[in-house]
Amino acid sequence: MSAVAVTPQETLVALVRRGWPDAEVFLKKGRSRRLELSAFTQTSVFAQEQAWAVRAGHHRGSFFAAGNGEPDPGGPWPEPTGRALRLPEPSLVLPWNEPSDFDAPLIGEREGLRLLESLGRELASELPGARLLAATLEDGSSESEIANSRGLRARTRARVATLYLEAAGPGRPAPTASVYLAMREARKISPPALARRLADRLAIAAQGASPGRDRGEVLLAPAVAIRLLAGLVPLLVGPKAGALISGLRDHRGRIGSERLTLIDNGRLPGGALETPVDGEGVPTREAVLVEQGFFRQPLLAWWQAETAAGHPSGCTRRAGWRDVPQPGPTHLYIKPEAKTPVAALLGSIAQGSYLLDVTGAGHFDLAEGTFALPVCGFAVAAGRASAPIAGAWLCGRIAHFLQGIAAVGRDLTFHPLEGMIGSPTLLVAGLELRG
Amino acid sequence: MPFSELDTAAVARTLSQIAEQPEDVVDAFFERREDVELPAEDEAPGLRVRREEGFAVRLVREGRTWLATRDTIDGRPFAEALRQVARVLSAASYPEPALCLPPDDAPPAAPELAELPAAVNRALRSHHVGFPVRYTVRRHRRWVQVVGPRLVAPAESESFYSVTADGSWGRWGTLFARLDGGAAETVAAALVGLFRARQAPPPAAFRGVAVLAPSVVAVVLHEAVAHALEADVLAQGGNPEAAVGVALAAPCLDVLDDPGAAPEGVRRTTDDEGTPVLRRWLLRGGVVEQPLADALWAQASPVLVPGAGRRGSRHLPPGPRCSHLELLPGETDEADLLIGADEGYHLGEASRGALDPLSGEFTLHLPYARRIRRGALAETVGPCILRGRVADLLTRVTAVGRPSRPAGAGWCAKGGQKLPVWATAPALRLEGVEIVPGGMPG
Repeated sequence: MSAVAVTPQETLVALVRRGWPDAEVFLKKGRSRRLELSAFTQTSVFAQEQAWAVRAGHHRGSFFAAGNGEPDPGGPWPEPTGRALRLPEPSLVLPWNEPSDFDAPLIGEREGLRLLESLGRELASELPGARLLAATLEDGSSESEIANSRGLRARTRARVATLYLEAAGPGRPAPTASVYLAMREARKISPPALARRLADRLAIAAQGASPGRDRGEVLLAPAVAIRLLAGLVPLLVGPKAGALISGLRDHRGRIGSERLTLIDNGRLPGGALETPVDGEGVPTREAVLVEQGFFRQPLLAWWQAETAAGHPSGCTRRAGWRDVPQPGPTHLYIKPEAKTPVAALLGSIAQGSYLLDVTGAGHFDLAEGTFALPVCGFAVAAGRASAPIAGAWLCGRIAHFLQGIAAVGRDLTFHPLEGMIGSPTLLVAGLELRG
Repeated sequence: MPFSELDTAAVARTLSQIAEQPEDVVDAFFERREDVELPAEDEAPGLRVRREEGFAVRLVREGRTWLATRDTIDGRPFAEALRQVARVLSAASYPEPALCLPPDDAPPAAPELAELPAAVNRALRSHHVGFPVRYTVRRHRRWVQVVGPRLVAPAESESFYSVTADGSWGRWGTLFARLDGGAAETVAAALVGLFRARQAPPPAAFRGVAVLAPSVVAVVLHEAVAHALEADVLAQGGNPEAAVGVALAAPCLDVLDDPGAAPEGVRRTTDDEGTPVLRRWLLRGGVVEQPLADALWAQASPVLVPGAGRRGSRHLPPGPRCSHLELLPGETDEADLLIGADEGYHLGEASRGALDPLSGEFTLHLPYARRIRRGALAETVGPCILRGRVADLLTRVTAVGRPSRPAGAGWCAKGGQKLPVWATAPALRLEGVEIVPGGMPG
């Protein structure tokens, strides 16, 4: 494994000598290729970044400083203000094999542009008259190193590619749809599958009708289930989560159906954010938050576990080198059921709807325990799609969503939201579809 | 100015080696930036300082852009970046210009940040209210130097502040060119409005008169005029030139983008491509006159004029964006805009707006509004949405208020490029517009 050129030790020693016994140095190097395609322009960006971040202080205050290049141990540093800083102690990092695709070269300029162009062609062949308005592919890799004055030392690498697509369908006014994805390697993108997904969205937007009130069964495609789960993150993360979620318990003590198992795992094999340690150098692990409907514990960083029941895990993320590390989901997902294909779930619906995607921002009132999400999809009768639905809202109580999960599919999918949030297709009863 | 010692002549000579065709756009963009943040007092770490510098080398040829960026300002990485954007490999390596900048070694401090939360709390008390709010205050500074093979633009700098307030009813934020007593009162007034409206029920669906305060006009102008007239947005629907001459709004609307008239501290003489800015008439008498364009789009069309190229960071290519929007004042005193309205809504605060460039659908989200009854302000209503098609909405303006005044500022994040945007506007009266309840669907 290659490491960054400078070591943080010199800066760490200088900070401690300045009278700041709590000090942490984070170094990062990265490179990325970004390719953008629109109807009129093509853009290719190659970026190299090298940056650092320091947190330091004493019992009366602390500061955060970040910059690019290499840190100068002599500063200048800000004066410590605000609250004192707490840093993690070193702990055992479980064995972890670095994935081989970390060493794959970044996608080339021509290769990436060909991929984006093929997406446009596939879309036009799926839905004649449809076109890509914008396509942006970014492929990047980075190496980082962290050390703190408690003796913690860690190095890690990351490899992430993101793809953003915006498309317009035929007709006037043209319906539009977008997709944002993250994966480990850009070469794993499947243009035909993505084009089908966009074409489905555009066709539904063009032809779909607003439904009347319907309280039948709903089949939630991963894109819809993921957005619901993302809206519930405050109920699952941090020391106050346990109290917030307790109101959702039923008479058996369950917050969800027995089909619901919720996991956060920073070292999820194949995950876009897979890493052995988090943004503070704390080992990542699998944390089961909800098991067969029973709430086990919230997702807790090491310092939060002192004030809440539960085992901590490495879940402190740095969104970038400019950002202060914050606890949050790494790969948070609903456990899939390996033996349940989506077709079987669809076939089991006598009367209801199959909701494929979310069409805008949702509303979550966690105090009242309600949500509303704008969605599109199909009405379903006797296990078959009968008519497209657009302009609909999926509404209900959060408790009804969690406890109404009747079956879980095997098609676990992740979307980049607040961390990577994942879900398979869910069959849910007790929610309402409104026009 | 950090770039005063930059050998711009050497950079220009080096860039000239990759400009092989007469129409090539080649430039180097150097930036240094500093953000100082005072987080909420219960957060650790305390003062947060981010300092960075770097450059981007760009070649634009026949509608294609190549950009190479680095997080340093030095000769060798510059020559490497040049090689990455050059379309023909030079037989010899590109020369390494001597690039030396004075280090940014001033102690990072911004004592003015610490004074704002206390000043806002004092202002809140003067409104006879008190409630817990968490403030995050930031100072943003940026220095920019653009060098082309033939022209070297003057170095530019920007300095401004952002304030975010988190209360139990949600988050509110704005930008200020300077932090003074007026800034504290602006924050306090906005928070008082949100606090007092926190339990107001949303209004029933309504069509009729709406009077928009200058801060709300600024959001409408940004979303419905500026974004709609960006060359890259216009291109999604066809030829951007075709917009010129179209009557988009009521004849009483004159809208300009003028970065040179922005508040002191963020005023610019050139854009982020080194092109001189202009007082650009987006709408004159309601008719589209000059869409927003950067060098790339101006190259593709003789009708489009560059000077509105902005970039959120050296790592992203520039795009056509507005900087400082102005709506020229009308002839109606602001207080008189309510006169004659038996029923309607006064919209005093907007939380966000959105435009679908293909359908022209525009939505403006308002956290609260005041009902107008018989020409006077009446009770407060809760969250609501003003919506309509841009072309229809803008023709429904029946009166433009006076005077025009600084109408607030905010971040615009189109295409992932976060940029500050400023506005000067009077109040407006619209008739026959649709307002629907916001919040949870019923």
